[in-house]
Formats: sequence, structure tokens, C-alpha cells
Amino acid sequence: MSPACVFPLAIVMLGVPALLQAQDRRLTDRLDRATAAGVHQLMDSAKATGLPTEPLVQKALEGSTLGADSERIQMAVASLLGQLGRAREALGGDANEAELTTAAGALRAGLPPGALRRLQSLRSGRPLVVPIAVLTDLVAEGVPPEQATQSVLQLARDGGSDDEFVALRRRTQMERRGRPPGPTDRPALQPAADPPVDR
Amino acid sequence: MPVERDDGIRDELLQRVVTELRRPVRLDPSVDARALREIRRLGAAGRPRPAQRPLWLAGAALAASLLLAVLLRSSGDIPVSRVASTIVAPDASTRPVRLRLASPASSRVAVVGDFNDWDPGATPLRPTEEQGVWTVELQLRPGRYHYTFLIDGRRWERDPSEPRANASDFGAPMSVLTVS
Repeated sequence: MSPACVFPLAIVMLGVPALLQAQDRRLTDRLDRATAAGVHQLMDSAKATGLPTEPLVQKALEGSTLGADSERIQMAVASLLGQLGRAREALGGDANEAELTTAAGALRAGLPPGALRRLQSLRSGRPLVVPIAVLTDLVAEGVPPEQATQSVLQLARDGGSDDEFVALRRRTQMERRGRPPGPTDRPALQPAADPPVDR
Repeated sequence: MPVERDDGIRDELLQRVVTELRRPVRLDPSVDARALREIRRLGAAGRPRPAQRPLWLAGAALAASLLLAVLLRSSGDIPVSRVASTIVAPDASTRPVRLRLASPASSRVAVVGDFNDWDPGATPLRPTEEQGVWTVELQLRPGRYHYTFLIDGRRWERDPSEPRANASDFGAPMSVLTVS
């Protein structure tokens, strides 16, 4: 083979695959090769469908730091990918990465997609991260999902600010932990005012 | 309109050029015969041999290819959209967030989470003047972050002042922080 052929052939053999497999160094540095490859494959799926990849990277790194095995890491990342997809179905294509990640957590907590859609329509263009996060936190605190949803939707309907949503969470936490709310606090959980949220 | 007039002039010019290019070229009838004679003469003299390239040239080409491939592979190691969820320099889009943990018996405390690539060495807490209390200030963009503290490099402990994460994929106690 003439030297003139060696150069382009080497580029084709080595360079092109390198370009095609753009990899995240954080993963290749900290995960074994098979796990990193599996996570990259899931990231490719996310990219192909327009979903954010950074939450997947963070989930894989979380697993690595906490000493999880390869299968568990890949399952967790795959599960998150599915939740992100469902979150986007609920919120639509305009939702940003933070909103999708937060909504994915809400769905995982057992909240119905319909609750997220209602919240989104009530917020009409205002950021969704805090209301969805508070909704999820209330459920994590042990508030039944329907009751938590009604309470958060009521505050959204009242035009509540992010700070007011955070205050709602604090009041609920205090009440549920047996600490009486302060004199200026209003009851944390509103009586149900909305029709049941569609699932 | 001036634009249409310009277009007309351009079309006419183009047409003239095309017509000129399509006109058959008349060749001297003896050209074919002379060309064949020359080909036969070269064939009888033997093929001209290409200049011998030294072997080192092939090696150099291969080395250059390998170097290029390594560079390409390096450039392929891109952090994918890490902007949204890492600790960043303060700017208009970030919020200062102070984490605080009372852990009197500890000799070192660090925090790992979605904001620092879960890197145990990235964000150590420093002891405060208050006995046994550790703290660190982060600059975070709006979003929701899972995190936990690492005590003395071997024990995980969640932040009691923030909500507990609804579920932990990997078994460690986890808190969740919402930045608005």
C-alpha cells in the first residue's frame, strides 16, 4: 500500500469513529467501560428524542460515587430516561431541563401527569420548578397525593409566588411534625377545591 | 424595476457565455494521429516509474494519523450540557445557597450532589466558629438538586434541614434542594 493511501485510511479508521462516539469524559473517567457504554447509549436515546442528557450523567455519577454496580446504575439511568420522557409528555416541548427533571421526580413520587398539566396551565408561563418541587416534597412528607395536589393547585390559582410555595411546604412540614404554625401562618393544606385531577 | 433590469442583463450575459462554451472546438485532423504516435513511443520506452518515496514517509504519515485520531478523540470527550446543573461562578442566573450541618464528632465533611458531579473531593465543608457545625456556600442555578453529605470519607448523612428525597436509587440517605 502506498504511503499516500495510509494517511487517509488511518484517518477513516481512527478519526471518524472517534468523532462518532463523542463521549462524556466524566463517565469514561469514573465508570467501567461497559457501564459507560451503556449510559452513553441511553444518552444517545435521550438526544435522539430531544431530552436532556445531563440528568442522566448525574444519575450515573451518583451511582458511581455511592458504589452501585453496573446493572443498578444502568437501570437507574434508564428509569430516569423514561421519567423524563413522561415529564415531557405532560409538560410539552417547551419545558426546560430544570422543569423536566423536577417533573420527572414528581411522576416518580406517584403524582399523576394531569396534576402537572393543571399546574402548568394555572401558572401560565411562569416558572414551574418550585411549585412542582413543593408538590413532590409534600408527597414525600407523607401528604396524600390528591390532597397535596389540591393544595398546590389552589395556591397556583391564587397566583402564589415561589416563596409562597416554599412557605406552604414549611408550614406543612411543621404541622406534620407536630410543631404548631405561627400566628401569621395560614393553614398549610387547603380544603379540596378542584375536581379530581385526570391521570 | 432596477432589480428586474439587472436580472435581465445577467441572464443575457449568462446565455452568451453558455452559447460560447457549447460551440464545438475544431481540432487539427492530425491531432489524433500525433497523440497515438506519442503513446506508442512512451510504451516502447517503458512506463515511467514513480519517484521512490522513502519508507520513513509512510511512518510519518501513520504517526500523523494516529496523532490526529488522538486529538479528535480528545475533542470528542466533551462534557455534555453540564452548564445547567453544576456549581458555577456567581452571575445573574445563580443563587447563593448555604448548606449547614451539625456533626460534632466529624473530622471532615463534604457534600456530593447533582451540582458537583457527585465528586467527594469537590466541595468540602469548613468548620464554623460554632462547635461541631460545618458549612459551605454554593452558587446554583434554579433547579432541583439531590445531594448528601459524606462524613469522614465513609458515612453518608442527609441534610435534616431540607426535604428528604422521595426515593433513593442507590440506598444512601438523600436530601433534595430546590433553587428558585
